[in-house]
Amino acid sequence: MRDRIPTPSPPAPSRRRVLRGGLALGASGAAALTATGCGSTLAQGFTGGAPSPSRLNFWNPFTGGDGERMLAMQDAYRASHRSVDLKSATFLWGNPYYTKLTLATLGDRPPQAAVIHLSKLPTLAEAGLLTALHPEDLARHGLTEDKFDARPWRKSQFNGKPHAVPLDTHPFVLYFRTDIAEKAGLLDNKGQLADVDGPDAFIDVLRAAKEVTGAWGGSIASVKDASMQFRIFWSLYRQIGGGDLVADQGKRVVIDTAAAAEALAYIRRLSEEKVIPANTDGKGAITLLTTGKAGFLMDGVWQALAVQSAKVKFDMRPLPRIFKDAPYACAADSHALVLPKAPSAKAQRLDLSLGFAASMLHSSKLWAEGGHVPAWLPTQRSRAYEELEPQSHYATAADGAVYDPAAWYGGAGGTMQTVVGDVVTTVFTGDASPTAGAARLRRELRTLASRPAPV
Amino acid sequence: MLLPFALFYLVFLVGPLIYTVIAGFFDTSLLRSGLGDFAGLSNYKAVLGDAEFWRTLGNTLWFTVLTTVPLVVLSLVLALLADRFVRGRWFFRFAFFAPFVLPSAVVSLLFMFIYADQLGLAQEAVKWFGVDTPPSWLGDPDWAMLSIAAATVWWTVGFNFVLYLAGLQDVPREVHEAAAIDGAGPWQRIRHVVVPMLGRTTTLVTVLQVIASLKVFDQIYMMTSGGPDGSTRPSLQLIYDTGFVEGRVGYASTVSLLLFVVILFVSLVWFALVRRAEKEN
Amino acid sequence: MTAIATRPETEHRGTTAPPARRRDSERLFNRVALGTLIALAVLWLVPLAWALATSVRPAQEVVTNPTGWFTAHPTLKAYGEIFDAGKLPYWYANSFITSILTTVLTVIMASLAAFALSQTRFRLRRAAFVMLLAGIMIPGQVLMIPQFLALQSAGLLNTYWGVVLPQVPNVVAVFVFKQFFDGIPRELIDAARADGAGWLRTYWQIVMPISRPAVSAVTIFVFVGVWNNFLWPLLVVTDPEMMTLPVGLTSVQDVFGVPYAQLMASAVLGAIPLLAVFALFQRRIVEGIAGTGLK
Repeated sequence: MRDRIPTPSPPAPSRRRVLRGGLALGASGAAALTATGCGSTLAQGFTGGAPSPSRLNFWNPFTGGDGERMLAMQDAYRASHRSVDLKSATFLWGNPYYTKLTLATLGDRPPQAAVIHLSKLPTLAEAGLLTALHPEDLARHGLTEDKFDARPWRKSQFNGKPHAVPLDTHPFVLYFRTDIAEKAGLLDNKGQLADVDGPDAFIDVLRAAKEVTGAWGGSIASVKDASMQFRIFWSLYRQIGGGDLVADQGKRVVIDTAAAAEALAYIRRLSEEKVIPANTDGKGAITLLTTGKAGFLMDGVWQALAVQSAKVKFDMRPLPRIFKDAPYACAADSHALVLPKAPSAKAQRLDLSLGFAASMLHSSKLWAEGGHVPAWLPTQRSRAYEELEPQSHYATAADGAVYDPAAWYGGAGGTMQTVVGDVVTTVFTGDASPTAGAARLRRELRTLASRPAPV
Repeated sequence: MLLPFALFYLVFLVGPLIYTVIAGFFDTSLLRSGLGDFAGLSNYKAVLGDAEFWRTLGNTLWFTVLTTVPLVVLSLVLALLADRFVRGRWFFRFAFFAPFVLPSAVVSLLFMFIYADQLGLAQEAVKWFGVDTPPSWLGDPDWAMLSIAAATVWWTVGFNFVLYLAGLQDVPREVHEAAAIDGAGPWQRIRHVVVPMLGRTTTLVTVLQVIASLKVFDQIYMMTSGGPDGSTRPSLQLIYDTGFVEGRVGYASTVSLLLFVVILFVSLVWFALVRRAEKEN
Repeated sequence: MTAIATRPETEHRGTTAPPARRRDSERLFNRVALGTLIALAVLWLVPLAWALATSVRPAQEVVTNPTGWFTAHPTLKAYGEIFDAGKLPYWYANSFITSILTTVLTVIMASLAAFALSQTRFRLRRAAFVMLLAGIMIPGQVLMIPQFLALQSAGLLNTYWGVVLPQVPNVVAVFVFKQFFDGIPRELIDAARADGAGWLRTYWQIVMPISRPAVSAVTIFVFVGVWNNFLWPLLVVTDPEMMTLPVGLTSVQDVFGVPYAQLMASAVLGAIPLLAVFALFQRRIVEGIAGTGLK
C-alpha cells in the first residue's frame, strides 16, 4: 500500500545524531543476539546453509483443540530423544499451510517432517514434493502395513508406494448435550440417542432439543467457515448416493445435480425451520452448545477437547444416517506424517524423521484424546482406547469415512472446499434456492475443472 | 555509476516484466521447471472469459472507490480544520499519522479483534445505537469489504492529511486576509478560496491513492483471505492464489499483465493531468 | 513527478484577524472545528488504546468481558507467553537486518544513479532517464511471480538476500536524490573537478556530505517500507526462524485458539518499533512528506 517516498525539505541535521544512535542501538542488539546463540541462524540467513544435523524441524496445521495434544506428543518425543533439537511450527490450516509447505520445499528449505491431510497427498506427491518411503526403511522403525487402519493406509499410497505415515481418521460427527437430550426425552434406556436417523427424525430431534434450550436445537459453523459447510454437504450428498463430484483427478465434472439439490434443500430446511442458526462462526457454534443454547453441534472430532474444557455433560456419536439411499457416509480426512523432499540426504535425515513419526504413533493415545480416531491399530484396538469416552463412541464413523474428491484443487482447506462451501452457505442462509445452488455448484466445478492442472 | 542500479533495475524489474509477458503465452507451472507447453492465446482467452477475473477486478475497483473517496475528502477536512490551530497540531498529527507507520500485519490483527463476532468493539459500538443484532463485520458478504475499507481509512488517512497540511502552507496569508476583509466568513473562505487553491495537491493525493488501492492485498489476505464467498478477493490475491497456491504460473502471469495495464493506464492519466497543469502555469 | 520543486517553508498562519462583526462567527467556527478534530483524533486513537488495554488484561477476563477497557489486575503475562514461544527475537532481528541491508544498498545505488543522471553528461542519458521514469509505473507486486522464480533458481529463498535484493531498485529514491542533486550549485562540482577529483570522489566527498537531508529522508522511508513489507517476505521466507516480524506475527500460529490478550500483545509488540521511530523522527518524516517531490 505504501511505496511512496517523499523528497526532503531543507536540512535539519540535528536529527542525524538520533538516527545514528538508533542504528548503533539496533546494531548492538543484533550483536547481542549473535552472541547468545541466535547467531548461527542469523548467519544462515546470509549464507543459506543447512541447519545443524541434530536439528529436526516439524510443521503442522493444528490450531484447533487438538494442537494441545500435539504439544504433549512432542514433549514425549523430547523426553526420550534428548540429543535431538526438535523445533515445531504451527501454521494456519488450509491453503496458507500448504502454500508454505510447497514454497518451502521448492525453496530447498522444507521441514524434515510435516503433517498433511491425506486428501492432499495425491497433489503433493504428483508435484514431487514428498519423499517416497521404502517399506524396508519403514520396517526398521516398526512401521509396517499390518499395524495401520486399512483405509488411511491405502490413502497414503501414491503410485503403489507409501508416501506418508497415517496418524488418524477424523470424521465429521455429532456432539450432543446429554442433559438436554435427556430432558427432551431423546435418550433410550442405555443413554443412547434413539431415532436420529432419517430426514424428518433428525429435525424432530433438533426441535425437541430446541424446546428445552429455548434458543436453538443444534448448531454448525456457517460464518467464515466454508470448509464446515462443505463437510455437511459432502456427507449428505454421499448419503443420498450422489457419488463423486469430479473424476479424472478433477478434469471432469460428474456432479449429480439432483442429489446436490436434495442435499442443499435439506441443509436449507435446518435453517428455515429455525432449528439451527445460520449466522454462527466456528467458535460461536461451540459456544452455543457449551452454554446450553443448543443441544447439538455438528463439527469435526478435533473440537472434542474444546467442548470438554467447558465441563458440561456431553457425548459424541457418528453423524446420523439422514439419507439411506447409499451406504453410510460422513465427510472425513486423515492426518499423516510426511517427509517433504529435501535438497540432500543430509538435509533429509531419513531415520531421524521416521523415528519421530514412529514416536508420534506410539503417542496415539494422547492423539485420540484430542478427538481423532487413531490409525495405529495397537492403540485403536487397545482397551485404553475403548474406555476413552466419548472418543470411542464414534470410532465406527471412520468406517463410513469419505475423503474429499480427488482433484489438484481439492483437499483440506483447499479451493474446492472454499468454492463448494461458499455456495452451500448461500443456500443455508437462504440467499439462494437449493436448485440454483446446485446449478451454481456445477458451474463453479466446471470452471475449476477446465483449468489446466499445474501438476 | 549508473551501472549498479541499472543492473538491479534490469534483473528485478525489466527482466520479470519480460518474463511475465512470455509466461502468459505458456502453461507454465510452479511445480514443473521450464515454461511448459506453449499455450498461444489460450490464457488470455481463459482469463478474459473467467468470471472470477472480472469479479476480483470489480472487487479491486470497489475497494478503490470505497477508500479513495473518504481518504481524499476526510483528509482534506481534517487538514482544513487542523490548519486553524497552531498549538496542539502535533497531537492531531500524531493521532492521524501514527497508524500509517504500522505494518499491515498489526493493523489486521487490531481490526480482526475489533470486528470479531460477539467479542469485538465494533459490534458493541453499534449496539449503543440500538442495533440489536449487529452484522458479522467480516463474515457477511455485504459488510466485509466496507469493514476492510474502514480499517484502511483509519490506517492511511494520515499520509494524505500531511500532504494537505503541506499544501495549505502554500496558500498565502494575504489571500485569507483579503477574503476576510471582503466579508467572507470562514466557511466561504474555505470553500471558495482555499479548496480551489489545493487543486494540485488533490490531484496528487487522488492519483497516489488510486494506485495504492489498486494494489491492495495485505489487509484483505489477513482479515478475510478474500472471503466470504469471494466478496473481498482483490486482483492481486487472484495472482497470488493462482500463481502460488495453485501453481498455475502461466495463468497468473496473464492476470498480472492485465492488472499492470490497468495500473499503467491510471499512471498515464496522472501524467497527462500533471502535464496539463504545468502548461497552465 | 516532473515538477519537482522544494517549497520554502512559510511561517505558520494562525487564524487571521477578522473585522469585529465577523469575530463571533469566527470564534464559533473555531470551536466547532476544534471539537470535531478532538473527537476524531480520540476516535483515531481508540484501536491502539484498546489493543494496549486488552493486552494487559488477564486472559480469562477478556473472555468473560471482551469489550471492557480496564482491569483491576493488569498483567504482562500475555507478553511473557509470546516471548516464551521463542521466535520473537528472531523476527525482530530478521526485520532489523533486512531493513538495514535494503536501506543501505538502496541509498548507495540510488544516489549513485541519481548523481550520474544529475551531474554527468553521457550518451543515452536521456534514454536512461526516460526508462527510469517508466519504472515508476511498474507496480512491483505485479511481478512477484518472476521475481520469486528468479530467486528460487539463484538459491536465495529463505535468505536475507532473497528479502533484500528485489526491494533495492527503488526508482522513487533515485528521483528524490536527483531532485536534491539538481539543486546543488554547479560551481561546487566544477571546482572539485578542476581540483582533479574524479566523479566518484566528487560524489563521495563533495556531494554526499551536503546531501544528508536527502539521505535521511530516503533512509527513513525505505526502512519503514521494508520493515512493513508483507507480501514479499511472505513468499520468499518460509522458515519460521527466518521470518520478518509482520510475517511471523500473522502466519505462525499458536495452538488452541490464541487468547485475544496474546493477539493484542503481539500487535503492540509489532507496533512498538515503528511507533518509536515515528516518535523520534516525527518532524523529519512529516517534513519529508510535506516537501514531497511528487507534487
